[in-house]
Formats: sequence, structure tokens, C-alpha cells
Amino acid sequence: MKKAFAGLTDKQIAESFVLPVKLSIRQQAEASAQLATARAKSLEQAKPVDKLLARILQLRFQLEDYLKSESYQPTRTFGHFLKEYQQLGGKKRKEFAYEINIHETLLSQLISDRREPGEQIFIRLELHSNKTIPASYWFRLVEKKKAYQLQHDSKIRQREKKNVKKSLALQEDDLPVF
Amino acid sequence: MTIIELRSGNKLAVSVEPVTDEDFKKLTVKRYFFNWKKLKGQPLLFKLVHPVSGDILGLMHLLDFPQEDRIEVKLLAVSVENKGVGKHFDRIAGNLIAFTCRLAIAKYGYKACISLIPKTELKPHYIRAYGMMDAGLQVYLDGRPLFNLLKKYIQ
Repeated sequence: MKKAFAGLTDKQIAESFVLPVKLSIRQQAEASAQLATARAKSLEQAKPVDKLLARILQLRFQLEDYLKSESYQPTRTFGHFLKEYQQLGGKKRKEFAYEINIHETLLSQLISDRREPGEQIFIRLELHSNKTIPASYWFRLVEKKKAYQLQHDSKIRQREKKNVKKSLALQEDDLPVF
Repeated sequence: MTIIELRSGNKLAVSVEPVTDEDFKKLTVKRYFFNWKKLKGQPLLFKLVHPVSGDILGLMHLLDFPQEDRIEVKLLAVSVENKGVGKHFDRIAGNLIAFTCRLAIAKYGYKACISLIPKTELKPHYIRAYGMMDAGLQVYLDGRPLFNLLKKYIQ
């Protein structure tokens, strides 16, 4: 072991490091086979609730990463993630609509992004997921789309120009570049 | 995701981010134990950063095995002042390993697995510290034990 680790117990090393280990080709094959066997057993013993938990955490983390990212992806809408959420529980649309007490038609409209969800939908989804996916995530998803649309809507800018009688006395050269 | 300042007992919220080209200037062997510069250009290199100073408190190199739904922790080190007795902050390595669990879940869902190849004498300590399971030459986390580590460090 390296000099730098002198004076550290094995416990202290494990709590602060993962050290490089070189395996021979034979050992690599052995390590892969051992791990595959162990994991096959784990997967076999996994309960349905573990699979459901993994799927909902997966959706939560994907949502978090998308909300955190600067980029806007037109396909990653509220409807897209709602469909993912409905499907991860293995529920039919009718059954899921019943569980959050909305009409199946409304659910279809939300999934296809033909209707805007209200606050009560965000809250019902949070409660339905046992708070695994907070209402604020669903809200921010809708907000992210609106912010993008607002930023890129040139028609509304043209239309509203006539309603701004006077703007601040700043020249374009005075402004910092954003 | 929090670390604990041992002197005050205060919890500090931290983030784990990709290592940037700019960071490599600071990644000396003296402070981070290994030649991290050798890994420049590798895709899965992460740092745990102090929220106020931006100081790098820990580093980690991962390998992704998509065909096995698995991410391997290849190398991990805390900064020199955060090892052993007298360390400034606790939970740095745990947070980095939990971050790996998060990455694996986001990518592989219920089949997600993380693993590492331990030195033989360290194996029982990884099992005890992180709830890892013994697969012979490797230790690993999947299913419920993986969720437990996430819960302990991230949620």
C-alpha cells in the first residue's frame, strides 16, 4: 500500500478511498462470473415493491436532471413524464384516472399536452407517489416549457410592441451581452 | 446530500459535479493521492465540492458497463485533510458512492447496480460502511441495499 496511507487503519482507508486494483485476465473473468451469479440471485429475490420503487426513483432523478439542465427539449413535456408515471405503475389509463379522481378524457388530454394541468393535478400526483415526486417538480416542468415559449415567441413581441409607449433610455451599445 | 464539519458538527449541503479541464491544475498527487491528470478526457470523472469555497473535497472515477446495467467505482479519494483521525469533513466518500447509485438508478432503473473491486483487507469495511454485498472479487449494491444507501445520503 502507498506511503500516503501509512498510519491509517483499513477501516479509515475504506471510509475515504477506493484504491486501484489490477486483476489478471483470468481474475477479471472470474470477477464477472461471480458478480453475474450474485446479481441474478438478487434480481430473482427482488419484490415487486422494490421494482416499483426503483422505477419511480428513476423517473424522479430523470425529472431532476432535466429540470436542472439549461437545455429545453420539446419532447420532454408534462404529458411525456405523466405518461411515464402512469405506465411505471403498470396501470391502465382508466384505472390511473380513477385513482387521482379525474375523468379518463382529461387524463388523455394531459398526456397529449392538449390541456394545461392545474395546481390540484400537481398535488394529486405528489400524494399519489407518496411524495416521491414533489408537486413542485410537475409545476416546474410546465414552467420550463412556458419560459422557453415566452423567450422564443417573436409574434407576441411584435404584437405587444404597440402597447409600450416609451422604453428606458438605453441604447443597445449600453447593454451588457447576455 | 450533506457532509458534516466535524469541528462544529454543522451539516453542509454539497453537490457532485463533473470535473472540468480547469480543475486539473489543482489536482495534485500531494493533495489527492493519485495522478488524476492521467484521467483527463475520461467521461465519468466527478468531484465533490465545498458549497462556499468551491474547494474540491473528493474525487471519483467511474466506469459504465451498459450491457450489465452497472457502474463501477474505479477510483475514489478524499482530499488529504479529510482522511483518518483529524479529518475536517465526514461523509465525503459516502456521498460520492451514493451519487454513483443515483446515476445507476437514473440510467438503469430496477436493474441498476454499482460495484467496486476492493483490496482483500478492505472488503469487510466496504460491506460494513456502505452495506455492500460480497460477490467474491467484487462488492456491489443493487435492489434494496442500493436504495438504503441513497436514502442515507441523498433523499
